[in-house]
Amino acid sequence: MNESPSTDMSIKPLLELSGVAKRFGGVVALNGVSFNLRAGEVHALVGENGAGKSTLIKILCGIIRRDAGTIVLGGTPYDPQTPGDAKAAGIQVVHQEFNLLPYLSVAENICFEDLPRNRFGIVDRRSLHERARKALDAIGLADVDVRRPVASLGVAHRQLVEIARALMGESRILILDEPTATLTARETKRLFAIIAALKAKDVAIAFVSHHLNEVFAICDRVTVLRNGQSVMTSDILATNPDQLVGHMVGRQLAAAMAATREVDKSGRTALSLHNLRHPASPNESGISFDLHYGEMLGIAGLVGSGRTELLRSIFAADLPKSGLLERDGKKVFYRNPKNAIRDGIGFVTEDRKEEGLILNMPIAANVTLANLKAVSRYGLLKKHGEIALTQQLGSDIKLKYGHPQDNASTLSGGNQQKVVLAKWLANNPRILLLDEPTRGVDVGAKAEIYALLRGLADKGLALLVVSSELPELITLCDRILVMSNHRIAGELPRKDFSEERILHFAYKDERSHEHQ
Amino acid sequence: MNTSDVSQTGQTRIATTTKTVLREAGIGIALIVLILVFSMTTQHFLTASNVTNILTQVTINLILSIGMTFVILIGGIDLSVGSVLAFCAVVAGTVMTLPGLDPSTAVILATLSAVAGGIFFGLLNGFISAYWAIPSFIVTLGTLNIARGAALQVTNASTIYSFPASFNAFGSQTLYGIPLLFLIALVLVGIGWFVLTKTVFGRVLYGIGNNEEAARLAGHNVFFYKIAAFTICGGAVGIGAIVYMARLNIASPIIGIGFELNAIAAVIIGGTSLSGGRGSIIGTLLGACIIGVLANGLILLGLSDFMRQMITGFVIIIAVVLDKYRERLTKV
Repeated sequence: MNESPSTDMSIKPLLELSGVAKRFGGVVALNGVSFNLRAGEVHALVGENGAGKSTLIKILCGIIRRDAGTIVLGGTPYDPQTPGDAKAAGIQVVHQEFNLLPYLSVAENICFEDLPRNRFGIVDRRSLHERARKALDAIGLADVDVRRPVASLGVAHRQLVEIARALMGESRILILDEPTATLTARETKRLFAIIAALKAKDVAIAFVSHHLNEVFAICDRVTVLRNGQSVMTSDILATNPDQLVGHMVGRQLAAAMAATREVDKSGRTALSLHNLRHPASPNESGISFDLHYGEMLGIAGLVGSGRTELLRSIFAADLPKSGLLERDGKKVFYRNPKNAIRDGIGFVTEDRKEEGLILNMPIAANVTLANLKAVSRYGLLKKHGEIALTQQLGSDIKLKYGHPQDNASTLSGGNQQKVVLAKWLANNPRILLLDEPTRGVDVGAKAEIYALLRGLADKGLALLVVSSELPELITLCDRILVMSNHRIAGELPRKDFSEERILHFAYKDERSHEHQ
Repeated sequence: MNTSDVSQTGQTRIATTTKTVLREAGIGIALIVLILVFSMTTQHFLTASNVTNILTQVTINLILSIGMTFVILIGGIDLSVGSVLAFCAVVAGTVMTLPGLDPSTAVILATLSAVAGGIFFGLLNGFISAYWAIPSFIVTLGTLNIARGAALQVTNASTIYSFPASFNAFGSQTLYGIPLLFLIALVLVGIGWFVLTKTVFGRVLYGIGNNEEAARLAGHNVFFYKIAAFTICGGAVGIGAIVYMARLNIASPIIGIGFELNAIAAVIIGGTSLSGGRGSIIGTLLGACIIGVLANGLILLGLSDFMRQMITGFVIIIAVVLDKYRERLTKV
């Protein structure tokens, strides 16, 4: 970067918002947001969950309409009524939730807004596939067949397909809402290269992220939202992470995130895996390792390296193809999650909405779902017991909620994740499997979840944590296993932790593949 | 917890309860409005004999709808209930008219065989759709034909009658103007309500209907619950078959055609979501009453069969559209 575009105050912003406000019923989502975006800059939008980032994006792309305030785009007032208006104005958005059509092919998804047709009006397969191929190659996804249905892709690849689709149109403004949440380091790197190329083409990019290291790596300016208001805008060079976090949470971040775990107090072996092989794993010898009581064992690796599959095969969410488990030194075979739960295992899944929570049911019903025995007698529910248990666990884990009978959907992402944790804690587990335990969770709640997990390990629980966020594993764990292509590529004790070492193992197989 | 937290908690709880009550109250209000409109526009609507008449007409659909609610709550559908009703009726009719049985034994054996026939088809529906993960729409479309064909085969397409006189009389008895058969249906409503709201079993059914994978990963045997829901539905159909015979004093292989659609309509009008996970038996009770009141009132207004059918169709659609608005209201 030889000249920072932000230093020249004479540059006219491409998009300018002032005093934008929005309420939903009695809830104020935005309360005076002012923010501008210049051509050729990457502008970070940061803030805790619920700060108003998603609402702001929805207004910009025409999904919802603002109640007040002005928006000027390229010198003329901008008031999109539909997502189509926003696209016509050159604003493209990559949403946090996927908007892909699962049973159509990758190519059809990428070109869906403008399917190539021949003169009979029939879809022209060849140019469809060519266009999609080009779009994928442009973002470095050469290994994905454009004819595959999207449903067969993993979550990271879907995100990249979504990005490829957004890049198909000629856009002046690109809004990326948490684009790296599901990506591993490798794919994130790719995405950043794409962003740099777009920036060179004078596209204005708004980048929403919870990851401040990413913000500082690629952004030119940053705007912080808090409680629906824009509280600061600054050149990235004129600020630092602590200052941003301070503005985001309105208080200095608890030392919890920085605190390191003292010693490895590893106790007896809680669980041993012997050549455990998930049905989808190409590795015939499976996975073997020991997990100890009081230990937090991290599993690092790229998306698709078999981390989630490993947890699912332990929990019998998918039946392992071969191999065996020893629990407290005794051979066990779980035929379904019920057996694993009876044996003191809990599983906090990666996807809260699909597998972890029942959003349209009360918080209390979610908390007791895995242990209805504790709140019933002769098959009859004891509603008071259920509410008491929820309140007790809720205060243990600092859950912020209205009433136990409110639906889980009323909670913020961080608190929803706490409900998932509470569901397993209600069962008094001895082993907790956690898959991306802080995905889509804001900074404040993250620190609280870290403290909670640490407390559980101190109480003697065995924790197996899968995460794509290396700082998370490095902060939390006593030991990290790095997976690559469905095998354990390396093991690191706490004293040897570093992002470089982890990535070295994670890419071990990748590199040998590329050479072939 | 500080004071502001406490007051907020109170408010939210009141708000939540109000919303849940409003949900069912909305259907209840619709029913009351219908009743008021018909009592003002027709002479005979609110007479004792007509009320008895309506309750009699509602009974069978209500019994089938209770079972259907269980199936729809887990995201399934049972299209076979009308045919299975005919099958259960002819089996029970055959048993009841076996020579040499004294009347009470005949009735008891017939009832047991009707319920057993319903349970058999329920198990079949549940097992096939749960074991091979086949949409229940397809499976029950198959059993719809199987049950109807079996009923015709067993009876050689003839109608069975001449049941014990006491059985025939029971079907038309009333208590303070309320048909005994309707009271049986009300008892079933009570049982259904209890099971769905007060038991672990009911809770898990709602859980599966909302998010099957989350329920499975929380250690619940989804396979068992799915089969159970269809079996309950089948059992209700068996009871419905006996009630039908008591009321009309016949058992024929061609009864019950289209009953599945009326049952589904009652459940949906009652606010149960076709995608599962949301709804109640009380809603179903109100839904079945709306359909019964509407049918009766429109006859009294002198409308033709064809007009009645069209209006009933509109009501189903309006009910679902209104439910969308209610959903939006409760979300904010």
